[in-house]
Amino acid sequence: MVILREGMCPGLDEALIRDLRAADIKTVEDLVSSDIEEVAQRCSVSYKALFAIRRVLLAQHTAFPVSGADLYEELLSSTAILSTGNPSLDKLLDSGVYTGEITELSGGPGSGKSQVCFAVAAHISFHLKQSVIFIDTTGGFCAGRLLQMLQTETSNTQEQMEALQRIHVSRLFDVYALLDCLYGLRGGGLQQTSVGGGSVKAVIVDSVSAVISPLLGGKQNEGMSLMIQVAGVLKTMAKDFNIAALVTNHVTRSASGEVQPGLGVSWSHIPRTRILLERVEKSAVFSPSGLRSATLIKSSRQPCPIKEELNLQWWSRSQEASSSGKRKLDETDS
Amino acid sequence: MTESGAQLFARLEARRCLKDIEPRLFPEDGGPNHGEVVELYGAEGTGKTEMLYHLLCRCVLPVASGGLEVDVVFVDTDYSLDMLRLVSILDNRLNSARSPSAGSDEAVLRSCLSRLLVVHCSSSAQLLLTLHFLETTLSSRPGLALLLIDSISAFYWLDRSEGGASFSRQEERLSKCAELLGRLLRDYRITVFATCHAIRRRSHSGPPSSSESDRPFLCRPWQRLVTHRLVCSSRQEAPNNNNNNMAAAAGSSEEPRTRQVFTVHATAAASSSTTSSSTATSSSPRTKTYRSSSFYVTDGGVEFI
Repeated sequence: MVILREGMCPGLDEALIRDLRAADIKTVEDLVSSDIEEVAQRCSVSYKALFAIRRVLLAQHTAFPVSGADLYEELLSSTAILSTGNPSLDKLLDSGVYTGEITELSGGPGSGKSQVCFAVAAHISFHLKQSVIFIDTTGGFCAGRLLQMLQTETSNTQEQMEALQRIHVSRLFDVYALLDCLYGLRGGGLQQTSVGGGSVKAVIVDSVSAVISPLLGGKQNEGMSLMIQVAGVLKTMAKDFNIAALVTNHVTRSASGEVQPGLGVSWSHIPRTRILLERVEKSAVFSPSGLRSATLIKSSRQPCPIKEELNLQWWSRSQEASSSGKRKLDETDS
Repeated sequence: MTESGAQLFARLEARRCLKDIEPRLFPEDGGPNHGEVVELYGAEGTGKTEMLYHLLCRCVLPVASGGLEVDVVFVDTDYSLDMLRLVSILDNRLNSARSPSAGSDEAVLRSCLSRLLVVHCSSSAQLLLTLHFLETTLSSRPGLALLLIDSISAFYWLDRSEGGASFSRQEERLSKCAELLGRLLRDYRITVFATCHAIRRRSHSGPPSSSESDRPFLCRPWQRLVTHRLVCSSRQEAPNNNNNNMAAAAGSSEEPRTRQVFTVHATAAASSSTTSSSTATSSSPRTKTYRSSSFYVTDGGVEFI
């Protein structure tokens, strides 16, 4: 909703705005939808002038149609596929996280969502040498774990530090701060962040349900509207700046008892790709393992559902593969 | 309001009738006529956007490949248009219909894509302005016969929260869009397909048809505009026994995968019935199904069973 102000377009001066307001036309939408002849008569303004103003305002505020051929060319040159570093996860995601869309990881506590987010951030920052924005809403961000993952890639501390510097972390704990941060990024923050290292290629929000689910339910619509606003700004940011948006979500049980991603039916339409992570039930003695099962439940490119086994310890494998080294890593993981 | 001769001609000249756009979806000779609106309603993952891609391909492909060669406008309100998927479906269909002596694929693909116009909208106010702008596009392109909107319910929660406590203010923006769309339909005689996302979870224990959760929830002007309502759903289907036996006999070690089958129930919206029926103003919409069809989604797009 855009309010008419003087100077918006040539010919729109203060006197005309006052007359229009008297005729109950306050916003651009009102002016565009009204009958120009009638309004011109009421405000004693020439029909031609008002018609010209309407045309300019419409051109300024409408979304322009783009030809399909041009859109396709643009997408071919700007879409990138960011590998996650883990071949089984890449297979599920059709070779990686795509830029320009939202990918969702859902799972119960301890199912490895944050680990996958750290791994993706480390991989993009180290291998692709691009920046990552990590928004932590649960307080679960652990720089030590990121360093551990980078240490398996290289033993050069200089490179590790550079990779860590390319990951920008924001800690926020409510939805208004999240919206603030995202709008700020979209409004110019992304360009500023790209000045130092490589350009920003991914925005990771861990987790988006932690700030939204407390607002859902009950009779107010505020919560749903805020959820759709967060989704909208993530999508426009992903599309306009060619970045990949990765979000995490919790899980709930459906009426028939099976596990499903949280945040309800209205959120389910928002991500383009959705993966559900679950612990693998081992019938043997309880031994903490890094094995998880990842199921692709929504994808526009592959038939669903597809299940893959995911080993979270893939990102902690040591270069030398010595047995003592592996045992030490097992202990730190448990 | 004055209009030039060219604009008048563009307005009155009959646009391509899309009754035969997909006869497998609608009952006998019941396809969408000029100026009719079809709403595709369903939960997530029920194939609504895939169906839109299928209709899009049918419209932009050249006649030699089984298309209609009409221009299409795609209004994308929730950024769900996946151009890469659309191009892979187009490629698939062009390749299957191509004769060996035909021209290069690239040129044909480009000409198909140039018949498509994509608009991204981020709020219902922008949707309203865009529909006003589309009027000039419609008058300058007489080949434009189809408008696809994905989805019309994208701003539902935003509008409800902005409208505050009064329902009429909540529905104001979408009502204006629906009225404008109605005027464009009357003046320019195009056809509109729109998807509408479900907002209530369907209860699995109830009967599949005439379910409470499939009731239309958008504003009245939009419901009055809709002439056909296609309710989409999906289920997992185990492969039939023949496949099982063949796989076992061949000693294959792969287990047969369950496929996802998508179903579409076509109904006519109750409020648009023009016959003098005494039940015209019933409180519960008639959900009597007129036609049910099922399809799989493959690499080449929608494949009807």
